[in-house]
Amino acid sequence: MNRFLVGMASEIPEGSKKIIQAEGRSVGIYNIEGQYYALRNTCPHQGAELCSGITASYITSNGPGDFAYEREGELVRCPWHQWEFDIKTGCMITDPKMRTKTYDVTVERYDVSVEENQLYVHI
Amino acid sequence: MAISESKTPEKKVRMKRSIIDCDVHHLAPVSAIKDNLPRFYRDQIDLWGWRLPGPIYLNGGVQGLTVDSTPPDGSNPTGGRGDMEYLRTQHMDPFNVEYGILTGSDYSFQASPDPDYAAALCSALNDYTIEHWTSKDSRLKGSAFIAKQDPLLAAKEIDRIGSHPDMVQVIVASGAEKPYGNRFYHPIYEACVRHNLPFNIHVLTEGLGINTGPTGAGYVTYYPEYRAARPQVMMAHLASFIFEGVFEKFPTLKVVLQEAGAFWIAPFLWKLDADWKSLRFQTPWVKKAPSEYFRSNVRVTSQPIEAPPSTELFQQMMKAVYADECMMYCSDFPHWDFDSPLLTFPKLDDATWERIFYQNAADLYELPARRIEQGGTQV
Ligand code: FES
Repeated sequence: MNRFLVGMASEIPEGSKKIIQAEGRSVGIYNIEGQYYALRNTCPHQGAELCSGITASYITSNGPGDFAYEREGELVRCPWHQWEFDIKTGCMITDPKMRTKTYDVTVERYDVSVEENQLYVHI
Repeated sequence: MAISESKTPEKKVRMKRSIIDCDVHHLAPVSAIKDNLPRFYRDQIDLWGWRLPGPIYLNGGVQGLTVDSTPPDGSNPTGGRGDMEYLRTQHMDPFNVEYGILTGSDYSFQASPDPDYAAALCSALNDYTIEHWTSKDSRLKGSAFIAKQDPLLAAKEIDRIGSHPDMVQVIVASGAEKPYGNRFYHPIYEACVRHNLPFNIHVLTEGLGINTGPTGAGYVTYYPEYRAARPQVMMAHLASFIFEGVFEKFPTLKVVLQEAGAFWIAPFLWKLDADWKSLRFQTPWVKKAPSEYFRSNVRVTSQPIEAPPSTELFQQMMKAVYADECMMYCSDFPHWDFDSPLLTFPKLDDATWERIFYQNAADLYELPARRIEQGGTQV
């Protein structure tokens, strides 16, 4: 497994993402409530750049006219046909067997005198 | 807050052989053509606005477009990034589109009760498409809008613009007052035949303005229902063409069914054929089985292609709709339900691929064979 420098942790504040190239692959790194997650930036459906899609919540309902928002910012909707994927697992919401690859992300913490933590994705 | 680090990706050409894309939406909103309208309509727009029924009441994606067609500044004007540069760099070049048939972006006038106004808008839009689009990139071909509300005015527009080399078909919305086989519309088909232009029915404006409701059971609430209703509307048009005897009266007329899906056609033709066997004597001018008229006179574009649960079923459905003869690939770029030419279809045998991604459209629109550097034979 190789590790690739994503950048400084402060570059991806909570609720945001960054798309990087690593070993010729495009990977999206998300910060959800202080935890980092990495997704292969390719939709398993027709190959759109998944991570350029909208970051969304999981909307549920008890019936018509009722809408509840859960898991704020934990889903990505593909930019093309809007299939929803769980950022934490890479699984598609309506069909979890369909998934995009996920990767581990680590944060290297340096000496306290260094202000920024370095973020690595492992591929 | 989202960091948009996703700078426009550099797409490499991945299609080896070039393709013809039969449904490319170019930016051609009525708002762009006000100056081209007669003074009366300009005055009227200044006084009362555009007086056009609104767009469909729901959509997918972001205002109906793929998210990656939203300009980097986040603005997303209606019609989105249908601009020339975007079309070239994000679609025509990366997918090696040899020809793209332009189908516009605004069909609101197809639901207007005012036929003169609709006809004026059509003329201005057609000129706009030639001036701003087809004359700027030889890969692009246009579709001539007509005011189907008044078939005589429509025929006049076909006579005006139909022999322009960049206009390859006549286009209307599927939303209509009467199904398109009705004799009311026949002056349109006379003109199409005169200029050897296919008549393309593209979904839109069902249930709007003067057009009938989106389903026979009334109006629907949600967008998936609206999409599900499109084949119903197309079915009505298809049966109407056949049983009103349009293809007997105009044997060379070609009709294109666009964006209502494709595989519903199979059981529908089986049904029409069965009923024709029993009821032939009611419409004795219908000389052939309905499926025969379909094969000789009707073409269907692929997007949004239904996704059967297995490749085997997919292949069977392709056979059942005579895809080798009748289906033409299209993407619907840049709309949100865009079908990628690379990944929408399972692997097709070479000959079938060639028919669907190139030859059927080349035959219909009389476009040249692909150039040799595009994997073709023409030097
Ligand atoms: S390509 Fe992602 S949903 Fe279709």
